[in-house]
Amino acid sequence: MNEAIRMQVSAFVDGELPDNEADLLVRRLSQDSDLRRQVAEYLAIGRIMRGEYSAQGSDVLRERIAAELDERPLQEPADAAVSDQAPRYVRPVAGVAIAATVALVAIFGLGQVADVEDAIPGVAVVSDEAVSETVPTMKDDELRRYMILHGSELNSFSTRVTSLQIRAEELAEEAAAEDPETEDEADETAPVTSQP
Amino acid sequence: MLTHMDTNKAAACLVFCGFFSAAVVLADDAVTPQDWIDRMGNAVQVTNYKGTVVRVRDGKVDTFKVVHTVKDGIVREKVVIQDGNGLEIIRNGNEVHCILPDRESVLVEEWNNQSTLFSTLPSSDIRFGSEYDLLIKDFERVAGRKAAKLAILPHDNYRYGYRIWLDTETGFPLQTQLIGDDNSPLEHVKFADISIQQDILSSALDSSYSTDTWKWYAEPRQTIKREVESDWISDQVPPGFRLVSTQQKTLPDAEDPVTHMIYSDGLVTVSVFIAQVAGKKKAGRSSVGASNSYSTVIDEYRVTAVGQVPQITVEQIAKSMRQSQ
Repeated sequence: MNEAIRMQVSAFVDGELPDNEADLLVRRLSQDSDLRRQVAEYLAIGRIMRGEYSAQGSDVLRERIAAELDERPLQEPADAAVSDQAPRYVRPVAGVAIAATVALVAIFGLGQVADVEDAIPGVAVVSDEAVSETVPTMKDDELRRYMILHGSELNSFSTRVTSLQIRAEELAEEAAAEDPETEDEADETAPVTSQP
Repeated sequence: MLTHMDTNKAAACLVFCGFFSAAVVLADDAVTPQDWIDRMGNAVQVTNYKGTVVRVRDGKVDTFKVVHTVKDGIVREKVVIQDGNGLEIIRNGNEVHCILPDRESVLVEEWNNQSTLFSTLPSSDIRFGSEYDLLIKDFERVAGRKAAKLAILPHDNYRYGYRIWLDTETGFPLQTQLIGDDNSPLEHVKFADISIQQDILSSALDSSYSTDTWKWYAEPRQTIKREVESDWISDQVPPGFRLVSTQQKTLPDAEDPVTHMIYSDGLVTVSVFIAQVAGKKKAGRSSVGASNSYSTVIDEYRVTAVGQVPQITVEQIAKSMRQSQ
């Protein structure tokens, strides 16, 4: 997602994007699922970072994209595995792929994730912009796995519980993504039995 | 199993017997901070309890219902998360079931070590130098019980401090705080109510759900790990940190093994993960709760440090790693 798109999205959410540009943005997003995913992540992380769990502008954008796609308005699915604290539009728009990112942030609260260039000395400022750019490229699964591995070596109540929460969220994502007809093809965690 | 328990008790004792430079501020002369810590080390291993735990972190409050018993060396625990998706964690010895009621699913995991769920502090059986001071600060009431308030004060900014409230009757930790640079709590874990050493029915440790017909999952491929010698070293880790373990692990979703090195100052641990990467990779940092990570690329390897320590600590450790050859 380039800077221009990001600025347009921000302006849209703030209600400051001219109508003609808003129409173009919605059309473009409705035609590009990958860009939709990036925008959803951008908005989700930005909102969580700022502690905003319900941004009207984001909801409007979601609904307009849904309308453009000629779909029913997307509501939080009853069986969504995403935490209540995750923005409710995220799952329907972005699908399972984003759930991992949101779950990671939601579980840990106001987590921050950012990439920094090695060449930058000292501690770089973590900004929404940096987060938006880097979360999709940050290997969340890898970092998450490291967090779990680190937690498994510890005795801390909080860390242990958090590790299990992460794993449970993974399971929820996998279960949600699992097509009953292709159950055997689930590659991450295979159901082993229906009985204990 | 008894061997494990004995080992744990010894480890818990060693943790707190060696590396604090103790100083008594306010206390009965006959009871030193070390005595309190020794009592805690034992109490977390043998105490049966049930209660409500509240965790405050990043302004977010989580509540857990906790039941814990030890019988014949077998730890049984039940933790029910009261918020969100109502996750239940049932532990019976080494086997842990994560129960997701809204998914009607159960994830089976194995815990490789014998640590108890509520041990308050990371433990290690390695003695190091004095990186902290240990003080008895006061006596207060927590969850309706009289508690001794202890403070663990770091000597520098490479680690966090702790406050611990220990039940005066049993030594069990009723409340803990992780303290940041500005002396404010980064994480607060507290029993809102607790029953200690009460007869706890076995049924209290069972799942709240009938899960027989639910889907059960297990890790298809366990993380394979083994102790190894590594040519990765660091001679610029923060004061007091030493390498305590080097393992090579093969993760379920990765072909190449990752080297997992654990550094500890005796109280906290920092994990360093080293994995070969292809192509250009950026460095990155993240913080989750009070834990921080820093990832950088050295030669053809991504080096990621993770730990419940300040950002500068993981960053310094990650950046200081190098191959000895």
